This record gives sequence, structure tokens and C-alpha cells, in this order.
Amino acid sequence: MAITTRQQEGFTMPELEYMAQCEDITIVPLHRMERLELMRGSVGPFRPPQKTQVPLWLAVMLKRSNRCRIVAPEWLSYEHLHTLCKREDQPDSMFTKLPLHYLEIAHILLTNAEDDLVDSQGVRRLIQDLREVRQSKTREGLRMLNSLQLQMDNLSIAEINEIRPLFAHSFDMLRRLDELAGTSDASRQQSQNLFADQSYSEFDDTFSSSYLNPE
Amino acid sequence: MSKAGYYDIDDILAVQERVPCVLQVDLDGLGSASGGGASKVYRNSRWTLPFWMADRLNEEDYVDMEVSPLFSKRANRMYAASPESVQLRSISQHFYQFGLQMGDLVPEIPHVLRNMYMQRVQKIARIAQQGQNTEAFDFVQSLDRTEARLLKQCQQAQGAIPEWQQNKAYALTKASAIP
Repeated sequence: MAITTRQQEGFTMPELEYMAQCEDITIVPLHRMERLELMRGSVGPFRPPQKTQVPLWLAVMLKRSNRCRIVAPEWLSYEHLHTLCKREDQPDSMFTKLPLHYLEIAHILLTNAEDDLVDSQGVRRLIQDLREVRQSKTREGLRMLNSLQLQMDNLSIAEINEIRPLFAHSFDMLRRLDELAGTSDASRQQSQNLFADQSYSEFDDTFSSSYLNPE
Repeated sequence: MSKAGYYDIDDILAVQERVPCVLQVDLDGLGSASGGGASKVYRNSRWTLPFWMADRLNEEDYVDMEVSPLFSKRANRMYAASPESVQLRSISQHFYQFGLQMGDLVPEIPHVLRNMYMQRVQKIARIAQQGQNTEAFDFVQSLDRTEARLLKQCQQAQGAIPEWQQNKAYALTKASAIP
């Protein structure tokens, strides 16, 4: 099968959306239904108006056939997003904690269950604001780029995916340049070896020697 | 040369870059190679050879390879002074790849390249996120092959989320091969 460059570089958004559909969400069933046996386990039984946890894809399916009402997750409310936005906007603040799949879940719920959200237009706008603020923050984070590590906590998977090619390729280039610099002056190499490099090269040595001499 | 990615087409193209060399031995019957008509070339005459050939001949002491003008002291100072305004594309299409190859021989190359790459990558990231404007246009024109590819990949990755939010990600499109 042909693999496009985009797929080599990470996930595509439909793939991430598919993954997000396995997250659990609370629903209020509108009809009585027996327990459902799924590959990942059983869900239900559905006894209205008792809330139950189901995977997101099932919730969307039931919602489409009008068999349930989706209870919006706590973080997907106007007030909560508003405070998050404010906190995110403060200078030198860290990334706020959001679900790993927040963009995808918000998108799925906003397209399929708009009527179950309070102030869906406001939520939609806030999600977009949040994304933009966080985007500019990741850009700031770029200044810390080096060949050893880069730490940005609480990034969601879609956001990581967005910057993946940039980081992957620049890390690669910086690592290669540092390696070259390391071979040309030994003191620099020593200081580098204090970090992870040493364990890798040792592992490589033992691996290659055991590979060459099977006994 | 031994560390080169054997199957990497950019590495292969990068080592086509010519470097000045000084011949260390007399060669009989190779006068045509240096452009002159003479049948013999004498030691200490200057040749510019592709890097892949010069590197090998240098190892076997047939020639003495000199630092490519791309990484002369003067050029290095220029790279350090204004990393963002260097016209890399016109200097060499495979600037970084070639630099990586040369880095073994000239110790300061990795440091020069590193500083330059850091500066330029940040600008590339800014352009990928904010879109191109006229100010960025000149910069985009100056990118070498490695950077241009990075920019394209970043732009694709950046475009993926808005595209998906507008439900364009699922649309089937006609293959480019079909007229």
C-alpha cells in the first residue's frame, strides 16, 4: 500500500479522531436496552434515566438514532474552558491540563451532539481560542530547542502531531551536528556522554559484539 | 564518507559538491582531466574535484584536500553574522548535507552549522504557523533543500487540523495522475 509522506510523519487527523472514539463518555439512555457485549468489554445495561459509561463511538451511534443524550464532560463547559483560557493566557504559565484527545472529542461532540452542550457556539469559540493560545506557546517553546531533550507537559496528541515533523527533523539534524562536533573535540563529547549518549553507545557496543560473536 | 547514508539520495547529491585540491604526485596521461592538453600533470597543481572523489584520493595521499570555499573563514563569519539572510540555496542546494560530510575535516563546521540551523529553524517554524507573507518570501527563497523540505512538512502538519475541522480531511479527491 502506498504510504503518503504525511503518514510517515505521524498520524493523520482522521486516525487521531478514530483513536479518540475509544475514550469513555457518560450518556443518559432514552430507551431500555440489555447489556451489550463488545470486544473491549461489556457496556450497559441501559436503564433510563440512569447514567452509563460507553465508548464515544457508541454514544455517537446511539445519539444519531436518538436513543441517548450525551452528558458533556466536565471540561467541555463554557465556564471551565473560560477559566482555562484565562489561565493559559497568563505570561510564563505552563500548559493547562486537558484530556489527551480534547480537540477530537470536542469536535466530535460539537458536530454530533450540539444540542446536548450548553452554549455550544461559545464552547466552539473557546476551544478555538484555547488552541490558538497554546499554539503560540509551543512556538515560544521552540526557543528551548536543543539536541538532548525538550519538555512540554500537557500537550494533547493532536498538538504534538502538529509539531512532530519540525521537532523530529531538527532534533535529528542537531544530533548529527553535535555528533560531528563531539568527534572533533573530545571535551565536548565527554560532557555529552554524561547524559544519555553513554548508555546508548554502550548498548550498541555490546549488541554489535554479541551479534558478531554468537558464542 | 563512511558515515554517509548509503541510500540517501540527498547525501549522494551533496557529495557532488566540488572542493579545491592540490595534487601530491605526478600523474602521467591524465592531462586532459585538468583541462589542459598536456599529457602529464605535475604535483602541486590545483584541481577542483567532486567531494566523493577528493575524499578518497585524500585518504590515499594522492591529493591534499583544502577547505571548500563554502566553509572558508570568511564565509563562516558571514554565516555567524546574519544566519537568516544567507542565501543558502544559491550557495548550495545541499548545504547542510555537504556540511555534515565536511564536518569531519574542519572542526568548526559543526558549530557554525548548528548556530545557523537553530536560528533558521525557528524562523521556519514561525512561517509554517503564520503563513507566508512578503517579508518571509525572500527567506523561503533562500532555503536549501533540507530546510525547504522541513518547511513543507511543517506546513502540511499545521494545515491538517484546520482541514479536518472543516471536514475536508475525509473528502475523496481525484488522483493527480488522472487528467
